[in-house]
Amino acid sequence: MHRGEDLGRARGTMIDFAPTEEQQALQEAVRQFAKTMLAPRIRETEKLRGLAPEVQAAAIEMGLSLASIPESSGGPGFSFVTRVLLEEELAAGDPAATYGLAGPGAFALAIAELCDEARCKQFLAPFVEHPDRFGAVAWGEAKPVDSRGGFATTAKWIGNSFTLEGTKSYVVGASRAETLLVFAQVDDAADWNGVGAFVVPKHVHGISIERVTTLGLEAADVASVRLEHVRVPRASYLNEAKEWSHRLLRFFVKNALLVAARCTGLQRAAIEVTRDYVQTRTAFGKPIGHFQAVAFNISDRFIDLEASRAMVQRAAFLWDAVAAGQAEENEALLASARAIGFAQEAAMRAGNDAVQLHGGAGFMRDYPVEKYMRDAKQLQVCGMTTTQADQLASRIELGLPLEWSLLVPTAESQNVFV
Amino acid sequence: MDFLLSDRQKTLREGIRGFAANVIRPQALSWDRNAGVPEPFLKQMVQMAAQMGGQLGVSLEPAVARAPDESGESGEKKKSSANLTALIGAEEMAWGDAGLLLCLPGPGLGGPPVRASGTPEQKERFFGIFKDMSETLAWGAYGLTEPGAGSDVAGIRASCRKEGGEWVINGRKCYITNGARAAWTVVFATIDPALGRAGHRAFVVEKGTPGFGVGRIEEKMGLRASETAELVFEECRVPEANLLGGEESYQSKEGFMTAMKTFDNTRPLVAAMAIGIGRAAYEYARDFVKERYLLSRSIPRYGAIAERLAKVGRQLEAARMVTWRAGWMADQGIPNAKEASMSKAIAGQAAIGACIEAIDICGAEGTIAHDHQLLEKWFRDIKVYDIFEGTGNIQRIVISKRVIEGLKGF
Repeated sequence: MHRGEDLGRARGTMIDFAPTEEQQALQEAVRQFAKTMLAPRIRETEKLRGLAPEVQAAAIEMGLSLASIPESSGGPGFSFVTRVLLEEELAAGDPAATYGLAGPGAFALAIAELCDEARCKQFLAPFVEHPDRFGAVAWGEAKPVDSRGGFATTAKWIGNSFTLEGTKSYVVGASRAETLLVFAQVDDAADWNGVGAFVVPKHVHGISIERVTTLGLEAADVASVRLEHVRVPRASYLNEAKEWSHRLLRFFVKNALLVAARCTGLQRAAIEVTRDYVQTRTAFGKPIGHFQAVAFNISDRFIDLEASRAMVQRAAFLWDAVAAGQAEENEALLASARAIGFAQEAAMRAGNDAVQLHGGAGFMRDYPVEKYMRDAKQLQVCGMTTTQADQLASRIELGLPLEWSLLVPTAESQNVFV
Repeated sequence: MDFLLSDRQKTLREGIRGFAANVIRPQALSWDRNAGVPEPFLKQMVQMAAQMGGQLGVSLEPAVARAPDESGESGEKKKSSANLTALIGAEEMAWGDAGLLLCLPGPGLGGPPVRASGTPEQKERFFGIFKDMSETLAWGAYGLTEPGAGSDVAGIRASCRKEGGEWVINGRKCYITNGARAAWTVVFATIDPALGRAGHRAFVVEKGTPGFGVGRIEEKMGLRASETAELVFEECRVPEANLLGGEESYQSKEGFMTAMKTFDNTRPLVAAMAIGIGRAAYEYARDFVKERYLLSRSIPRYGAIAERLAKVGRQLEAARMVTWRAGWMADQGIPNAKEASMSKAIAGQAAIGACIEAIDICGAEGTIAHDHQLLEKWFRDIKVYDIFEGTGNIQRIVISKRVIEGLKGF
């Protein structure tokens, strides 16, 4: 399915919550994959910090590794609506597994926002050619710089190449990525406006990876990336696009909207398994789900799910409408910020209540709910934090300038996993 | 998927918003204090509604119970969006003043049951009075709740018995919107409480019927412009022809009660109104922050306020999405009892939260009543939105039965 088809539909004629037939077919295929391949292996994936080879092969076979690549760069050109539909389905099988799928992932999303079409094609071509490759975005740093704004990691123009020096943290999938998008300070005096990005092949001399253990989302295989005298050519430097800061903000918001879609899938998984549990577990002569306190709790989580899904889909739709010149960007930013904050908190409620309603059993790793609860908290610090999403929404609503350095996640506010 | 409003919906929304801001809001506080909207203004509203095509969210009557030719949109496109359009209109009207919305002449909540279950003769007779209201305004009302029975409909005790060509009703109904001024009220009574819902009969009781009287007019926390009355029936004699749907419709399963289910859809409409009030409070607080705190206070203080505003904003957006989806389902002909209850449950709480937070954010000034300063009024108006049309807990019973297997009730 192509973006062109998606956008070809009449817009603004009637509000419609139904996916197209093509989208429904895709949803159904991914739902089956998630149900048969991801959900039963949730503990295996956790232990491996990634997908088992046969699962990965099946995902690649389905074309999932190319999902984030634009049509002009040789990808399927999914609309953003299609992307959030697929993310929800995958996460409903295993929220963590969505971070273990092969492909450029967030790398492609960043490249598509930050580069023109020609460079985008150039940087993404290897992923189209080798759909089993991974990409990663090295954005975060553990500590802020005391003396100035911006990153401690620097990129200095020495001789006829850039030399990168420093340590990037909270990088999803760094150890398996072939290519990294590394953000570094190019101009110290310009504070946050002096930040640039570099496309860096991981095998170059001077890069070392240190994997870290996280609360949840083990399949994300988070690591720090240490850069010692890493030399990269000028061609790998990205800060030449117009509206750089604006594009960066857009990347973070869109990336976090995909996180919100995963939060929706997580809710579905947590609520459904809990619903099944309360229907079969009996106490005082009846299923515990037949007690009001339990049934009302489940009902509230279903309301959350309903709201999260519609908010995420509407926000995704607005990004597609912005691309088609049918909506203002601020409208899409606001809808996204609200969807992100709501879905993240709703996922946390779902994970927490799922464990609670399972009682002691929920605390045991025999059931998946303790994992959902850990994953939910982890998702709240992926993409953007709930607080950052709320600050973005308020700045738009109050008519304040959208200063990207105040809005995107950094060590000066809260770090996130990208 | 499509989340953009149609041009028609945009025009409707902008039209009502402008009218609400410039005409409705300046008078809202005086209506609240004087416990009613003056008739000349209501006549003006009726005229406007007629010009706008007769519906457009200025009636509490859900479009779902209307025939397709009455939806007002059939000429424009194949599928209807009448429900969604009504939700958009209701949100804007309530943003202006929810009290006014409840005062508007027309069949009100009495409309759907007559439309769903009435015989052709009854429809003609009872809706006829609304055709031309240029001289005389008319209202309909809906009388189900009693002092001892609300959401538990099976518990109603108002009795009815047949004597010759008449039905004799005894009992009391309470909290009836427009109950005193209504030309007729759909009244539920039972031939025998032991029969449960099977024993229920619905009558259209006309004003002036012997034995039918109005009890007290309630003093309420909010929505004070709206009339809420107690109705008293003492050997009230109603002609046989006013038994809603006729005697036969009570003898089969597919009859009266099935028809009643077709108007479950007042819930999203009530949810949309709640969102309108909540949005009014949210916008008031947002503008208050914009005009005062931002200019005079430092960033850290503003940061916490900004977060509270954002949370209110996203709860309202969440409620709106659930509500729109319930309305969209009704337009598609998809059963939506669960989603309708969800919309009411989330919207009531989101909007109450919005009003509570808005006063917190504005501080003392937020509680002071002035013209153009209606926050304290919205705070009083909103609470009942988590109560009428089924309390939040009742909505959760409806949802529970549809998500938990084998659960028939509690």
